[in-house]
Amino acid sequence: MLDDRAIKTLLLRAAARDEGSAEAFRRLYELSAPLLLGVAQRVLARRELAEEVLHDAFARIWHAAGSFDPLAAQPVAWMTAIVRNRAIDVRSSHDVSRVDSYHATVDEDPEGSLDRLFDWSPAADDGEDRRRAAQWLRDCLSRLGAPERQSLVLAYEHGLSHSELAVHLKKPLGTVKAWVRRGTASLRGCVEARMSGQAR
Amino acid sequence: MKLASRPALDALCGEYVVGTLRGAARRRFERALREEPLVAQRLRHWQANFTPRYAPMIETRPSPQVWKRLEKTLGFARARTPWFRRGWAIAIAALLVIVVGVQLARQEPDGVLIAKLAGKAATVSAHLSRDGRTLVLHSDRPVIAGPAQSYELWLLTPEGGVMSLAVLGSLEARFEVPERHRGRLRGQLAVSVEPAGGAPGGKPTGPVILVGPIKA
Repeated sequence: MLDDRAIKTLLLRAAARDEGSAEAFRRLYELSAPLLLGVAQRVLARRELAEEVLHDAFARIWHAAGSFDPLAAQPVAWMTAIVRNRAIDVRSSHDVSRVDSYHATVDEDPEGSLDRLFDWSPAADDGEDRRRAAQWLRDCLSRLGAPERQSLVLAYEHGLSHSELAVHLKKPLGTVKAWVRRGTASLRGCVEARMSGQAR
Repeated sequence: MKLASRPALDALCGEYVVGTLRGAARRRFERALREEPLVAQRLRHWQANFTPRYAPMIETRPSPQVWKRLEKTLGFARARTPWFRRGWAIAIAALLVIVVGVQLARQEPDGVLIAKLAGKAATVSAHLSRDGRTLVLHSDRPVIAGPAQSYELWLLTPEGGVMSLAVLGSLEARFEVPERHRGRLRGQLAVSVEPAGGAPGGKPTGPVILVGPIKA
């Protein structure tokens, strides 16, 4: 598992733009590229496109390292978002319309896919807040209705748009949009209720 | 109208995080992210609490060409670096490795063993950092609370008081000792199973699965 603390140190070192920055960036790449390529490949299925995205995303990470806010952002999540957004853009411009074999497993076993795809166990460097947040999210995801959960997981994992979701799930566009909207709204309600319970 | 003041802000953040916000709508949202601090703040909440961490099983190693291209794109061409500066880069890189290593090592175990908690589920050791502010639990095997549960760690004082120290998602944990208990951890530590988020009334409600005396 990537250690957010080590990643953060390297990212800040890269942002410093001095003698050690290129080397820190190389190390950052070495540590995190396999995971980020995995993220891109989930969205793009095609290896060469995923590597293209990895290249572009790391160029972006190098240039944006200075604007990374070390207090607010979790660096792995920050880099993941850059890769996913880039992959989603490439996916829509290349018309990578495919429903690959991953989807079958998601369909048959939505609960299992949550635990296969994501790591809910606490990382060594997690504060208690993050441990709790991960547990709440896992808990709240499993409480969603099956269609809502399936829509969210498919869209998140494979970068499917509303209309791709509709095709894949064989439902009208409006229905699928409502599932995504209701799914995110219920998740938010559920997690925030646990947060405020905690604050009591 | 400012995006930050719209009731739909959370819906937009949610769709952005999930990835279904597309086209012009996403571009508008990203512009608002740059221009409206409240939007950025709200998105941070979503990113911190609503994005799961990917499992290592999705990892796949990129071909070496990707890094070679990146070096070119970013102008890291080593050939043009004069030898004396290359030496510096190597020295600094080595130093960096040491610094990162030392930082990682420093965060590792874990102060003084103050208690061993035993039960059916596991044996857990509790270490208190030397400054008395951080308590670290290590379990001899991984035990993670079910989706509707939390574990709660209690201090049972010699006077018969029962006070919550922390609500835990697993028996591997590191957290700050609440200020009023610092320097006053005496009696026993115990872990009970509680509803997700911890015991609602501030007293244990579920079964106690681990207990052990605090060393004097």
